[in-house]
Amino acid sequence: MLTIALNPIAYTRQRFRAWWQARLPLSDTTTLTQRNVYILPTRPGFMMLATLLVLVVASINYQLNLGYLLTFLLAGCSVVAMHVCHATLRGLTMNLMTPDPQFAGASAQLRVVLTNNRNAIRNGIGLAVLDSTVDDKWVWTDVPALGSSTVNVAFQPQRRGLHHVPPLTAETRFPLGTFRVWTVWRPAAQVLVYPQPEAFPPPLPPGEPRAGGIARARLQSTGEFDGVRQYRRGDPLKVVVWKKAAKTGELVSRDAEQAQRYELWLDFAQAGKHDTELRLSRLAAWVLQADRLGMEYGLRLPGVQIAPASGESHKRRCLEALATC
Amino acid sequence: MLTRLDSLPRDTRDTLFLLAVIGWIMLPQLAHVPWWCGVLAVAVLFWRGWLAFSSRPLPRTMWLFVVLAIAVVATLATYRTVLGRDAGVTLIVVLLALKTLELRARRDTFVVFFLGFFTMLTNFFFSQSLATAGAMLVALLGLLTALVNAHMPVGKPPLIQAARTAGWMTLLGAPVMAVLFVLFPRFGPLWGTPSDAMTGRSGLSANMQIGNLATLALDDSIAMRVKFDGPTPSQSELYFRGPVLSTFDGREWRPLQPRFFGTRVQLAGNVQLQVSGEPVRYEVTMEPSNRPWLMVLDVAASPPQVPGFETAMTSELMWLVNRPVTDLLRYRAESYTHFRSGPRNIAALPPEYLQLPPDRDPRTIELANQMRADPQLARGGAPALIQAALQRLRTGGYHYTLDPGVYGENTADEFWFDRKEGFCEHIASAFVVLMRAMEIPARVVTGYQGGERNSVDGYWIVRQSDAHAWAEVWLAGQGWVRVDPTAAVAPGRIGSLQRLQPPRNVFATAFGNVTPGLAQSLRSAWEAVNNAWNQRILNYTQSRQLNLLKDIGFSAPSWEELTFVLIGIIVFVALAGAAWTVWDRREHDPWLRLLNRVRRKLLAQGVDITPAAPPRRIATLVTARFGELGAPLAHWLLKMEQQRYASAADESLRALQTQLRHIHWPA
Repeated sequence: MLTIALNPIAYTRQRFRAWWQARLPLSDTTTLTQRNVYILPTRPGFMMLATLLVLVVASINYQLNLGYLLTFLLAGCSVVAMHVCHATLRGLTMNLMTPDPQFAGASAQLRVVLTNNRNAIRNGIGLAVLDSTVDDKWVWTDVPALGSSTVNVAFQPQRRGLHHVPPLTAETRFPLGTFRVWTVWRPAAQVLVYPQPEAFPPPLPPGEPRAGGIARARLQSTGEFDGVRQYRRGDPLKVVVWKKAAKTGELVSRDAEQAQRYELWLDFAQAGKHDTELRLSRLAAWVLQADRLGMEYGLRLPGVQIAPASGESHKRRCLEALATC
Repeated sequence: MLTRLDSLPRDTRDTLFLLAVIGWIMLPQLAHVPWWCGVLAVAVLFWRGWLAFSSRPLPRTMWLFVVLAIAVVATLATYRTVLGRDAGVTLIVVLLALKTLELRARRDTFVVFFLGFFTMLTNFFFSQSLATAGAMLVALLGLLTALVNAHMPVGKPPLIQAARTAGWMTLLGAPVMAVLFVLFPRFGPLWGTPSDAMTGRSGLSANMQIGNLATLALDDSIAMRVKFDGPTPSQSELYFRGPVLSTFDGREWRPLQPRFFGTRVQLAGNVQLQVSGEPVRYEVTMEPSNRPWLMVLDVAASPPQVPGFETAMTSELMWLVNRPVTDLLRYRAESYTHFRSGPRNIAALPPEYLQLPPDRDPRTIELANQMRADPQLARGGAPALIQAALQRLRTGGYHYTLDPGVYGENTADEFWFDRKEGFCEHIASAFVVLMRAMEIPARVVTGYQGGERNSVDGYWIVRQSDAHAWAEVWLAGQGWVRVDPTAAVAPGRIGSLQRLQPPRNVFATAFGNVTPGLAQSLRSAWEAVNNAWNQRILNYTQSRQLNLLKDIGFSAPSWEELTFVLIGIIVFVALAGAAWTVWDRREHDPWLRLLNRVRRKLLAQGVDITPAAPPRRIATLVTARFGELGAPLAHWLLKMEQQRYASAADESLRALQTQLRHIHWPA
């Protein structure tokens, strides 16, 4: 309500844009047609118009037939440029590669493949996330004739959870800069956004005694180990016995699991007395830390409990649980 | 050159290319702007090029304002104004040069481009020749190339790529240009153009200062082109009449001042023109003279048909229009080479035709008195005296020269007795002074005499160097009679192609001597092309525009109808574009079109086929659904598959199309 009162035009504009974007179909692949490519003159375009007017007035006043020729040739070029500009985007196919999960607040990339099935190069196409506030948000590319090019569009997911990829926009001003041709595209793909890990988290919480075990607090990172076992995917590099690997060509990991009498539980209830998001972001930081240390850890969230384990897939599972809880 | 440029870093390359284009645009201007402006512009461009080449920072904006302020002051000092055409051109050249030092943001680049377009137009103030048009077309392509290049943000695309884009954009833009050029309604100037709009164009002037025409004689530019309907009259009859000069102050001849200001009496005047013989009909294309007179063959009895102008004849047989001719002008006229004019009675003649400047040319007056005292001549009257004067010119050792030197106070005396050489204006002036001293009414007529035929397109070309001055004397009972004293001095000047040649440079002389014929025919071809350019492009005026509409079928065309035609064409092109878009949207591949037809038909029957299903898949579905009934269709579908994918297709698509029509469709 306050926004309406303060700036009714901006508010209406924003509502209109939201309504307009909601109408756009969701699709990971889009081929641009007359219907979804928009065109408007730019400020230099209006300058060009003013120049043409000045030229025609000068030609009339000084009765210069050659001046008329120059003016009208320039006008003809501008008209052609308008069509060239529109044709640069029209007929282009854009395809979004399935995005990897990202951390909130971190810089991430969306890979978009632009395919040109026309027998001529498409110059100067820029891609960006639609509502990006970054100054230099555009990624520029040329798409070769009958070829394709891949661009990485930067975006910064703000909130955790499973979201649609933000609407993307493509733009071109080729060839004369007098017109801006653009399109807005809502990809269907969803991106999983993990909570933003706390920048400087407190140390990991102390372990809880394992049921039935002898209490002997020891951290794995002391370097002592009890034996070796076959390498398993997701084992941290530092537990690999490289000397043995060099000798035999076989990957072997130090096994300290038997030694761990304490279980590390990352508990929502112990993650400080802040609000939910800050706790989640602390938990995310702990998950990353524990994983880096190669420890086994479990995760306790309200309504969800993940038994202690380690490795890449466990980390993902935990982060997903943090993202979606 | 483009390849060498391409080896530089992109920013440097782009800037140097833009500077080269700007230099090319400014090049023709250097002859017209004041020297300080030319020096400044060239220096700034070279400095900017050096900055770009050595990747140095641009100067601070403050310095640009300082230089600009100095340039404005210098413009004021040169022209006493910053408005008007010449001052404006000077300032635009300075601005364009200085703006190149401020290429920081994208907006600055655009300002440079748009200033560049405007500077191109200002070149046309001075010349609209074919050569200028060609040079500016190159400049336009250059600017567009730079502009296109500026909108290729990725990497360092070769300049030739941008040039190609600019080239075919111009090519596609040319039809738009042609349509707009033909149909854009032509108006007169929207507001008064500054008075300096037409300086720099030479030609006859309203007065004749001794020495004026001699400068024209060196000017080889074309004054007018004439197309005769019938055969060309003989050279000695080709006197194109310009201003008639009747008052003389010793140095300068001026036209007779009308004595009835503000009335038309003087114009309609007591011409008393009688013509005889067959008229010569012709069409004149006159180069802009910035003077309100029409050049016609001596003498046009009926008004020349000049579109858009009112015409009137003075009592001295000169045709005037109601405003100066600032544009290439085409008109038709009818002339009689045999005519009589002027009152038969000396009493009806204004006394100015006998007046001489006081205290000048005493020896000429003495000579006149001697001749009148000669009893033999006195008996013969005025004709005998004229003949005697001409005889004196023929036999007295008088010469015709382009370089007579500077005449002093008594121009007639110097010609008759001291120098004995002169250009036609000296001869005519001295002759008229002598006539008046002998009480014979006489006047000087300026205009053009002769010309040459262009063998390529048949136009008769009259150049500024054909400018001529001759005399007219009044004889009782005959009226005004043309006497050309120059013909007596130099018979070659009149009535033949021989023209006095100004000294030429060594190369031209050698070239002319080796292949005089080739040089002549090259020149003829070039001038024919130029003439076509003048006739078609530069002389495309409102009347020709309306005539074109008349040819299309409008009975009484006006500029409103012109606008309608223009709008009609725009609407038609837009509709055609829309139709093309609709056509473009449908499937272009005939094979796919055929398969889609089958697919749609089967879909209507409830067979579930995905859009991407190949023929074999459809065939399977058809067999599954219809069994034996569907066999022919399934077979046909397999043949479709073969047609598309087999290395050698058995049947053509056309044959398959016919087969489909005859297939018994399963139901």
